[in-house]
Amino acid sequence: MTKTLSLFLAHAFIVIALITTFGVLGLQREEQEAQERFTGVLEENVTLRILDNDTAKETGYLDELLAAFNAEYAQYGITAVDANMGAYTDLEKLGPAGYGPDIVYQANDVLMRYAENRHIQPLPAESMEVYAEIPSEAWDAYQSTMEGTEYTFAVPVNVQEPLLYYRKDLLPENWQETWDDDGNGVPDMVENWADLFAYSAQVKAESNGTRYGYMKSLNDQYFAAGYFLSYGAYIFGQDETGEYDTEDIGFSAGESYKGARIIRQLATVMDNNCADDTITTSAYELLGNGTYFATMTTPDVYESFIDEFASSWSRTHRDWTEEEVDAYVRENLFMTKVPALPVSGDLTDREGETMEMTVMGGIHGYAISSYTKSPNAALAFIEFATSEEWIARRCELLGIVPARTDVMEAEGGVAADVYDDLIADRIYIMPGERAMTQVWASFGSLLRFIAEDGLRGGSTYDTDEKLIAAMEALDAEIYSAIHTLS
Amino acid sequence: MADMQYKSAPREFFENLAEKIKKKWRAFCAMLRHGNVRVACSMLIMGTGQMMYRQWAKGALYLLVQAGFIVYLVLTGARDFFGLFTLGSVEANPWYGIEGDNSVIMLITGILSVIVMVIYVSLYIANVRGIYATQLRVEAGKKPATFRQDVAQMFDRKFYRTVLFLPVIGVCIFNVLPIVFMILIAFTNYGGDIVPPKLVDWVGFENFGKLVAVGEYTTTFFKILGWNILWAVASTAINYFGGLALALLLNKKCVKGKVFWRFFPILAYAIPGFITMLGFKYMFANGGPINYYITQGGGSAIFFLGANSTWPARLIGLMVNAWISIPSSMLLATGILSNANKDQYEAARIDGANAFQQFWYLTLPFVVFATTPVILSQFIGNFNNFGVFYFLRSDVSSSAGYVLANDTDLLINWLYKMSIDNNYYSIGAAISLIIFIITSVISLVVYIFSPSYRQEETYR
Repeated sequence: MTKTLSLFLAHAFIVIALITTFGVLGLQREEQEAQERFTGVLEENVTLRILDNDTAKETGYLDELLAAFNAEYAQYGITAVDANMGAYTDLEKLGPAGYGPDIVYQANDVLMRYAENRHIQPLPAESMEVYAEIPSEAWDAYQSTMEGTEYTFAVPVNVQEPLLYYRKDLLPENWQETWDDDGNGVPDMVENWADLFAYSAQVKAESNGTRYGYMKSLNDQYFAAGYFLSYGAYIFGQDETGEYDTEDIGFSAGESYKGARIIRQLATVMDNNCADDTITTSAYELLGNGTYFATMTTPDVYESFIDEFASSWSRTHRDWTEEEVDAYVRENLFMTKVPALPVSGDLTDREGETMEMTVMGGIHGYAISSYTKSPNAALAFIEFATSEEWIARRCELLGIVPARTDVMEAEGGVAADVYDDLIADRIYIMPGERAMTQVWASFGSLLRFIAEDGLRGGSTYDTDEKLIAAMEALDAEIYSAIHTLS
Repeated sequence: MADMQYKSAPREFFENLAEKIKKKWRAFCAMLRHGNVRVACSMLIMGTGQMMYRQWAKGALYLLVQAGFIVYLVLTGARDFFGLFTLGSVEANPWYGIEGDNSVIMLITGILSVIVMVIYVSLYIANVRGIYATQLRVEAGKKPATFRQDVAQMFDRKFYRTVLFLPVIGVCIFNVLPIVFMILIAFTNYGGDIVPPKLVDWVGFENFGKLVAVGEYTTTFFKILGWNILWAVASTAINYFGGLALALLLNKKCVKGKVFWRFFPILAYAIPGFITMLGFKYMFANGGPINYYITQGGGSAIFFLGANSTWPARLIGLMVNAWISIPSSMLLATGILSNANKDQYEAARIDGANAFQQFWYLTLPFVVFATTPVILSQFIGNFNNFGVFYFLRSDVSSSAGYVLANDTDLLINWLYKMSIDNNYYSIGAAISLIIFIITSVISLVVYIFSPSYRQEETYR
């Protein structure tokens, strides 16, 4: 008994001792020294995986860029390749596992979420050639103060903001007499929301609900946010360093209820689909075939509208050549700044004072993954891709609004308008906070509630008091969703 | 009598368990008392006793297991095991190439280390029991079993062990590990802002506390739970009795062209469920065909699946689910009804039973008896029916009075929104644990009270 028991206990003791000793030793770590990653010395014979968006691939821009870069850096053995991943690949999931891209091109809200947990590398932005060419308002989107130090995480490439798309050939024949009160040669319905609302009501009534004026999914948070922001709402408050305070939620701030009222009014001139995503997905086709007069979306999809418009026009004008159709659609599809809002927040107020609309926007840019093995080569790629030549080429092929001032000045037109909005603070850059998920979910639902109430002529949101209460409830709901479980 | 059997079953189970433990303990004590030096040697170093009995191959295998286990402990096992408790202490900083601890990986490797330890302890016990059995065999005047005899046994008397060895390992890695991982996540603060490289920590029952004791979440939780139970009961009943009714109808002699009529439910069954759901969603959309005809007829559009349409959306959900599930219930009932005893019906008719009485006293008990496990699995499936409302009301993220959920969401949909859409992994894990407890308790209770369990011999 003693012999067997003692050897049994000895075995148990040895196993426990091994677990304890190697367990404790295994968890100890040697202090690691912080290494400066941007040494200025290019890593040689390396391959960089570049994650760019689908449009850059479809238009052939990415291939051109990669070929040019590879030729330039062939002497160092640096090769840049398409990361061959979806445009919305999540670096947070792939990076730590070691198979994410080296360079990512994404919107500021996504990139700044990566920055929060150090998945992208702070850049030596001020020492880059492109630094002076990009306005500080664009750099701001990529700057964050962490532990007392301000970092820049990406190089801005493209400024995004909603624009109004409309069909010039669908304007009333006598619009210059009836829809140009200020005589400036620009139709009133693309200058003022109140006029666009009136015109939409007229088109819907005259066509017995088969054609529409302005159409856009009203539950789309990104595009609808502008109505609220214009009347004083904000998403998160900011401290003196510009950092967002997710405890300060301001959808109900100012006179934001006017924005809610506009959503409700707009629903009345649309169809039953305005409270879901149907209009967004069918807008290309229905603007192309003339069912819609106008819609709102970002400038980077201009070519998609052109394609649908041309396709639709070709079907009804079979004797036209391809060139004639292309010339016609480019002449008649207009992309312009969003109209001005009535100060009163009432779309039936066509005579009152107006104000420029503040819109939700974003800035796309290049960032370097913290998990790259070749940070210096990656930085060289970004320098190359954000040079004047390649940003101009990107504008040409993708129709983007450049963040570079020199390229924007050369482009003019809508690019200049967007740039003006950026400088004048009329673009509310989407926060890169992780908590935006909770914001969008609650905000989207309220938009749908309000739009459906407008559609059915309901009484849930028919007074300012009810709308104010709804906005306050929204703030409380978002706060609860973000902070109760954190 | 049946009641008595039912009432004594749990007690009997625990009594048997206690008896088994006592028996094992007595066997272990006997081993310690009577084990010889070879048994003692195998207790210290696995396989040495076997080698002393000249069971070289068996002894070498056990020795290899112990050596392998020690190497595993030294290289990673011990660290992984301790990591399960600490979940890391150094946060990574990839900006400066500083490697840190990944709490989630540590949790997984920690669970794996526990599984490896359990497997090692099992093999250790097998080693000790084996050598003691050999001692008894030798003391009885027999020769120790040769390796060939042991291997032969693995393909004969102990064949089940040979066959089950790899599946058990597979189950440990692909079933036990993820389930334990999910359960343990419910006791951490993983999610929200706390995602690697930030370090995750143990928080005990805090997540469960948040679900049942934090204002808005408690309200949301109980509202969803109430609707979830109603949904599961109603949808199971509708699908089951709908299928049975259809089967009975198509079983009637007077129905002509049975094959033709059966084709339609089978067609509904054969079409993938999500296509059916998308079809229904389109039909009932604000701008869908049904509203088109309503408005063309001069009426006002009805927002069946709108943000404010709680009960219309719920009823449509029940209808869609019935459309998808009734055909399978019908096929099941058709098969069972073909085995019904015709003589009983003949006798009932002679005794004057009407059609309803025949159904109530003969058909229903017979079908329910045979299908109780199926009803239970349908109930669990419906309780966790993610697809219906995920497809039908994906546009409505939240409803008034709910947090991160809408008024048709089931617990499984809420879990998805919490975990996937909002990254609250630990809360999602806590919800899934609650779902598991609810469904297993309901299933167990229903099954114990069901005729399938209480009157097992009735139809044999």
